[in-house]
Amino acid sequence: MESGIDLQGSAIQLLVDLGVPTPIAKVLWLPLPMALMLVVATVGVLIAVWLERKIAAAVQQRYGPEYAGPLGVLQPIADGLKLLFKEDIIPNLADPWLFTIGPAIVVIPVFLSYLIVPFGQNLVVTDLGIGAFLWISLSSITPIGLLMSGYASNNKYALIGGLRAAAQSISYEIPLALSVLAVIMMSNSLSTIDIVNQQANHGILGWNIWRQPVGFIIFWISALAETERLPFDLPEAEEELVAGYQTEYTGMKFALFYLGSYVNLVLSALLFSVFYLGGWSFPVPVDTLANWLGVSPALPWVQVLTASIGITMVLVKTYLLVFIAILLRWTTPRVRIDQLLNLGWKFLLPVALANLLITAALKLAFPVAFGG
Amino acid sequence: MTLAEGTQLVSFGVLTLTTIVAALGVVLLENIVYSAFLLGGVFISIAGMYLLLNADFVAAAQILVYVGAVNVLILFAIMLVNKREPLAPLKNGWIRRGLTALVCFGLFALLGVVSISTPWSVLPEAPNVGDTALRLGQHFFSDFLLPFELASVLLLIAMIGAIVLARREFVTSSAVDGDDNLIFRLPERPREPIAPEPVESK
Amino acid sequence: MLKFLKQVGDYAKESFQAAKYIGQGLSVTFDHMRRRPVTVQYPYEKVIPSERYRGRIHFEFDKCIACEVCVRVCPINLPVVDWEFNKPQKKKQLKHYSIDFGVCIFCGNCVEYCPTNCLSMTEEYELSAYDRHELNYDNVALGRLPEKVTLDPMVTPLREFAYLPKGVLDPHDLPKGAQRAGKRPEEILEEIEREKAAAAPSEDEG
Repeated sequence: MESGIDLQGSAIQLLVDLGVPTPIAKVLWLPLPMALMLVVATVGVLIAVWLERKIAAAVQQRYGPEYAGPLGVLQPIADGLKLLFKEDIIPNLADPWLFTIGPAIVVIPVFLSYLIVPFGQNLVVTDLGIGAFLWISLSSITPIGLLMSGYASNNKYALIGGLRAAAQSISYEIPLALSVLAVIMMSNSLSTIDIVNQQANHGILGWNIWRQPVGFIIFWISALAETERLPFDLPEAEEELVAGYQTEYTGMKFALFYLGSYVNLVLSALLFSVFYLGGWSFPVPVDTLANWLGVSPALPWVQVLTASIGITMVLVKTYLLVFIAILLRWTTPRVRIDQLLNLGWKFLLPVALANLLITAALKLAFPVAFGG
Repeated sequence: MTLAEGTQLVSFGVLTLTTIVAALGVVLLENIVYSAFLLGGVFISIAGMYLLLNADFVAAAQILVYVGAVNVLILFAIMLVNKREPLAPLKNGWIRRGLTALVCFGLFALLGVVSISTPWSVLPEAPNVGDTALRLGQHFFSDFLLPFELASVLLLIAMIGAIVLARREFVTSSAVDGDDNLIFRLPERPREPIAPEPVESK
Repeated sequence: MLKFLKQVGDYAKESFQAAKYIGQGLSVTFDHMRRRPVTVQYPYEKVIPSERYRGRIHFEFDKCIACEVCVRVCPINLPVVDWEFNKPQKKKQLKHYSIDFGVCIFCGNCVEYCPTNCLSMTEEYELSAYDRHELNYDNVALGRLPEKVTLDPMVTPLREFAYLPKGVLDPHDLPKGAQRAGKRPEEILEEIEREKAAAAPSEDEG
């Protein structure tokens, strides 16, 4: 396996060659990928919001945003600016501290989870040994923020919305974790990089989606429930609860919730593509392609090409999944709260457990195909 | 002192401070909801401590189990009950408080003495064990097998108990006795019985 | 055991059915994505109202004989007819006439029954006002002719679906002089006259 481009190594080497001591060079490098990832996450959200509005319009035979930029691509930025300039209102009887902290607690873990999202062999903020587990544990902090803002709003709709959100996310975390666990079992590692590398051998045929046909459906359903997208958007069901825990929020605090939900959607899609669709790998292995064309994969320009193909592949897979989520939003009706909990505990949980056991059995029986 | 050591020292200080302040807040604040949220803060600070000790898996598990499950359940319980009653000032309340303070201080002193008198094998820096998940798994299935299995049995018992509690069906004693003429009536107005009439021949 | 297996099988069957229905729904929404938007971008584009559009009512003061039929047939007796009996002429003389479009339901009964055809429906539908009393039109306001959509240089007039040429679904960028499907009323009239003219000589012969 080629290591591909090592941006960190070459950047630090460049700084050291310029006469900067090695530790300082490393410290100088440290914030760059984080800042880049923040920008990537934010831009990803802008694109997702634009896609949501355009696809929703197309499904309903409307035009959608048209006037802000070509095809309305600047509309999300306009929305963001509007929210930025809106008055920040804290209701009179609300709890000002919890009301302010709540949205931050919802958003921060989601952004932190971008630490482990890989765009290439070395294109990741940190290759943590506990990558996938970190994501699951970070996503379990979010309900606290939801409960906090729901409680602090001093509004019955907000409280019910917050309680629903918390109930929903703790009950869907379990099937989500179990379906991820089956993938981890096959790759023998929690690291997202290893999970992709384990799928990279046979092109599209090596992707986990073929080996986990049940697991990926469970993962997708639970991810939709975790991100509170339709058909699982009960916490903010507008017909019953006004807007759930967001009811009393305006301005930048509301924008944080909005941002958080879309970052979460894009993050789930990214991790779906990492876990089940082979991450940055091309449907035909790039090395094989290079061999057919008779070029060595070690050449610099081939490596740059490979890296850009990898990033493109990750983004294409991710936005394909975002597209499916948006289409699902305009297709499926909202489920009731009892149906939601029944689906989570009585259907997804047993099926996910069975899936895990079958994966383990297959791993023992066919170690070649299931990562022995 | 290198940069890394400095960062560790500062983060240790900050984590200690947040742990202690949040823990004091849990105990001393009157509003139980604040206490519950601060408990989450304590758990997260302790997860940070684990991170400083190179125990990343334990840190993530701490967040997942304590913040994501235990604390959320506590909050759930508080918010579902939502009983706000003013606490009536007790007569001779100071005696109780004094006693509590005495017991707590005694416990603290005991723990302090124990922690000072125990010969801890202090390492100069946290050892890097590589893949923490792997090492944990090895320990769980070799030298810590019995505690591990005991914990799992305990959890199983708790789960079965929860299921038994949740599945308890409230059936009136007369229905259990086999009285199939049982008719439920609404208290407001007399109604025609909905249950089928008992067969005459019987 | 068999009963349990049957339960599991039924449950699995139901799950597959649910998945199938969701798939069908997705195919419907996906199919809608390639359809043309039906949006009329209102202040810049307007639909040309059809001939029988029941818009704001037009009133011709001079034709009115103050018979008050319009008031009788109105479901809510809305038109206000203010007249005075002119003794020397022995005629009712109309002084004021008004209809409150904040209350009118545009049923068109008054237009239908007016014996002198002094009332008529127009194609005007933009009746917004800042004060609801401004919607109470007097005889002067009722006598104004509506602005034609097609004559407004700021507006792109769009034809309604029934007025598009055969096979065309998009009202934008129609070729000039494109006719709607079928015959226009005057063409039908012409045809009838031609038929009559053709039939007349044969009658003479007979």
